[in-house]
Amino acid sequence: MAMLSFEKKYRVRGGTLVGGDLFDFWVGPFFVGFFGVTTIFFSFLGTALILWGASQGPTWNVWQISIAPPDLSYGLRMAPLLEGGLWQLITVCALGAFVSWMMREIEICRKLGMGYHVPFAFGVAIFAYFTLVVIRPVLLGAWGHGFPYGIFSHLDWVSNVGYQYLHFHYNPAHMIAVSFFFATVFALSLHGGLVLSATNPPAGEVVKTPEHEDTFFRDSIGYSIGTLGIHRLGLFLALAAVLFSALCIVISGPFWTRGWPEWWGWWLNMPIWK
Amino acid sequence: MQYQNIFTTVQAVGPVHHGIELGHGNSPRTGEPLIQYWLGRIGNAQLGPIYLGGLGIASIMCFVIAFVTIGMNMLASVNWDPIQFVRQLFWLALEPPAPGYGLSLPPMNQGGWWLFTGFFLTASLFLWWARMYRRARELGLGTHIPWAFAAAIWLYLVLGLFRPILMGSWGEAVPFGIFPHLDWTAAFSLRYGNLFYNPFHALSIAFLYGATLLFAMHGATILAVGRYGGEREIEQIIDRGTASERAALFWRWTMGFNATMESIHRWAWWFAVLCPLVGGIGILLTGTVVDNWYLWAVKHGVAPPYPTVFPEVIDPATLTGAKP
Amino acid sequence: MKISNLLLPAFLGALFLLTGCERPPTDTVQHGFRGTGMVQVYNPRLLAIKTEENEVPASLPAVPTDGPKAGQVYKNVKVLGNLSVNEFTRLMLSMTTWVAPNEGCAYCHNLANLAEDTKYTKVVARRMIEMTRHINADWKTHVAETGVTCYTCHRGNPVPNYVWFKEPEQDKGADFIGDRAGQNLAATSVGLSSLPSDPFTPFLLGELDIRVNGSTALPSGNRHSIKQAEWTYGLMTHMSSSLGVNCTYCHNTQSFSSWKGSPPQRATAWHGIRMARDLNTAYLEPLAPVFPQHRLGELGDAAKANCATCHQGAYKPLNGQSMLKDHPQLAGPGVQTQVASANKK
Repeated sequence: MAMLSFEKKYRVRGGTLVGGDLFDFWVGPFFVGFFGVTTIFFSFLGTALILWGASQGPTWNVWQISIAPPDLSYGLRMAPLLEGGLWQLITVCALGAFVSWMMREIEICRKLGMGYHVPFAFGVAIFAYFTLVVIRPVLLGAWGHGFPYGIFSHLDWVSNVGYQYLHFHYNPAHMIAVSFFFATVFALSLHGGLVLSATNPPAGEVVKTPEHEDTFFRDSIGYSIGTLGIHRLGLFLALAAVLFSALCIVISGPFWTRGWPEWWGWWLNMPIWK
Repeated sequence: MQYQNIFTTVQAVGPVHHGIELGHGNSPRTGEPLIQYWLGRIGNAQLGPIYLGGLGIASIMCFVIAFVTIGMNMLASVNWDPIQFVRQLFWLALEPPAPGYGLSLPPMNQGGWWLFTGFFLTASLFLWWARMYRRARELGLGTHIPWAFAAAIWLYLVLGLFRPILMGSWGEAVPFGIFPHLDWTAAFSLRYGNLFYNPFHALSIAFLYGATLLFAMHGATILAVGRYGGEREIEQIIDRGTASERAALFWRWTMGFNATMESIHRWAWWFAVLCPLVGGIGILLTGTVVDNWYLWAVKHGVAPPYPTVFPEVIDPATLTGAKP
Repeated sequence: MKISNLLLPAFLGALFLLTGCERPPTDTVQHGFRGTGMVQVYNPRLLAIKTEENEVPASLPAVPTDGPKAGQVYKNVKVLGNLSVNEFTRLMLSMTTWVAPNEGCAYCHNLANLAEDTKYTKVVARRMIEMTRHINADWKTHVAETGVTCYTCHRGNPVPNYVWFKEPEQDKGADFIGDRAGQNLAATSVGLSSLPSDPFTPFLLGELDIRVNGSTALPSGNRHSIKQAEWTYGLMTHMSSSLGVNCTYCHNTQSFSSWKGSPPQRATAWHGIRMARDLNTAYLEPLAPVFPQHRLGELGDAAKANCATCHQGAYKPLNGQSMLKDHPQLAGPGVQTQVASANKK
């Protein structure tokens, strides 16, 4: 049955948003729920479309397979299947699957009596994807502005879109987002390291306490955010990285058409020092 | 609306904690701890005390030397004009030596100051690392944080020391400056044939995004089981309570497998540490083992081809005798 | 609560950033296979201003080409001797409009004796006519049949708005500290980045390597440095701003150095670089002794041309409109004095 030793008492009915008891069961370790069904539907359909698209393409090399969006000339209309229409359908399936996954997480939270923080955080990630494939293309007037679905081809898209603005590193929102990404990795290494250092002391030592954790950071840098605070901080840093990433790409094109270094002209030309 | 466990609404204020007693050989701690209400809304309200030992003080001194050297070079580069210094701060830099100097010691103003700064910054980092190690040992903790720090120092040394030495030129190293170090990053990718095709670069990014994903997941999970005391992770590790159980089951029911209260921190540590570790390898291989990552990718059959859209363009430089 | 925790700073951050930005809608033009991201992005409001700035002045009515030749009727005609007197006069009037509309004929001529070479402007103008004919006859690889006239660069100004001089030594606070190595200041020449601020001397006057990539995956002797890549990047930034286009106009950045998959504009640009070198070394730099002090750079060098000199922010100068068909006297003959050979990179 693949159940953990303590799991049985938690497998109760209830918490569903849609469908009542109809899909309120597990398959192996997976909770199904109405949104589990929709997830499977969208995932299978989307994956099948990707595979079919690959079969119509020049290669089965997993690194080179690419499903490209339509030409810009199609605007916000539906394109023929093999001219980018497939990309559009796959995008709908992706959004359907992601949102379904998030809703399923909400149902699981309700069943376990947990707060909704995880599906909320996932919602922020979905928002970033939505920004890339819906919001920005709509603002620019064509679905063709989305990124291709391919391992290396999507990186070529990143490279070219970056160079549309000559030197994307100068995008201020990008700078903030990158800083948040690095801060997140940094903070994660500290948190993981701290908990492990307290529970895995050197041979002969006893397991330590939160007071030891606090003391380590107070001794090192004068402040310890604490056991609850670090999780708030980590979630904030991670979500800020994603939100500023979405911001940095949505302003590139709809709200700025020149090189990003040129944007800094407002600072350089301020009257106080011109 | 329900309480969402984001900001602490009621702060319990007790006597400040002066830190776990340290054994002999340690200095007394510095600073009377004070309570900061707004900090307390997010985490602990207590600021201080701090431990200022020999290693820490030496590290700070070395860092200050490096920092001031960078600042003085920047100020001099705008002719000591403080207004231009503030105005152009993001553009200013302390440059490494020109490639022509190889690995020799250049004049101070042609990269010597950069080497001087690099030396003191590196010393500062090593001393700080030793501080981290010593503090952990003195408190009877494991040394997981200093070893994570070592991964970051590895990347720093690759960029500023190991790779320039292997390439035979200090000029390959990174300048100290906000925009200039970004110019270096772009130029590095331009020179070596598009770093997106460097597999170690790709892995490092996977770990960067993965770490961000993990901290969002873990942070959110703990906050979601805060009502069961989930943030008391040490306690939950040695004596599993309903917080850990619900947290684990959330992920098991969602994605079919789960971590434990301890093992999630191992996932976290490894993802975070592998980002700079693998990234450093990718930097080290660039220019030394691989000169053009796109061509390397073509060679190994991973670069995607695109349908021809333009008429064929012949490199004009290859057309001998063509009228210019 | 998480919402207000994040949304407020994100919203304020966005507002702050947007105050320095442009507004939608913007126009995009695809320039490669779909989904590659090779796209040109335009702000229609800025483009409208540029279209206005690139209007071509009306040409004078055509005149008969028969009759006595200028070289027979006038004294000291060294370059335009083969033109009819009518053509000659028409060209002179046109040049006045293109270069010195406010200053008039007296800008170059002594009105008491039009043949005299006493004013430096006349000597310079004569060389400029030779240069214009050379461009139109010998640099068709770059200017095709569209060609250039004096107006292309001058646009009604005695000195074109976009010229460059060699950068003087850094004005350093002291000799032992603060060397910028030619970069790390906010420079308009490189679009306000901190890239090297004078990429023109090495690449548009000199013939230093612009290409820095190797042609093999593994090292095979390519010793170019990251620093050199920054200098090339600076030149490319200038080219982009001068033409009002981005890098994907000429490149698929998947591989900058590959010519397979590059748009054809890249080859035209290649020739443009060689043309700029040729004009700067053969025509413009040698004019330094002719110019008075106030027309020279800080190092005593003459004003030189870069991409912005002709293009002035447009993908083709004057948005591709040809003035040459109305002024065939400037179409040639050529003077084979170009310095660069086809094999130089």
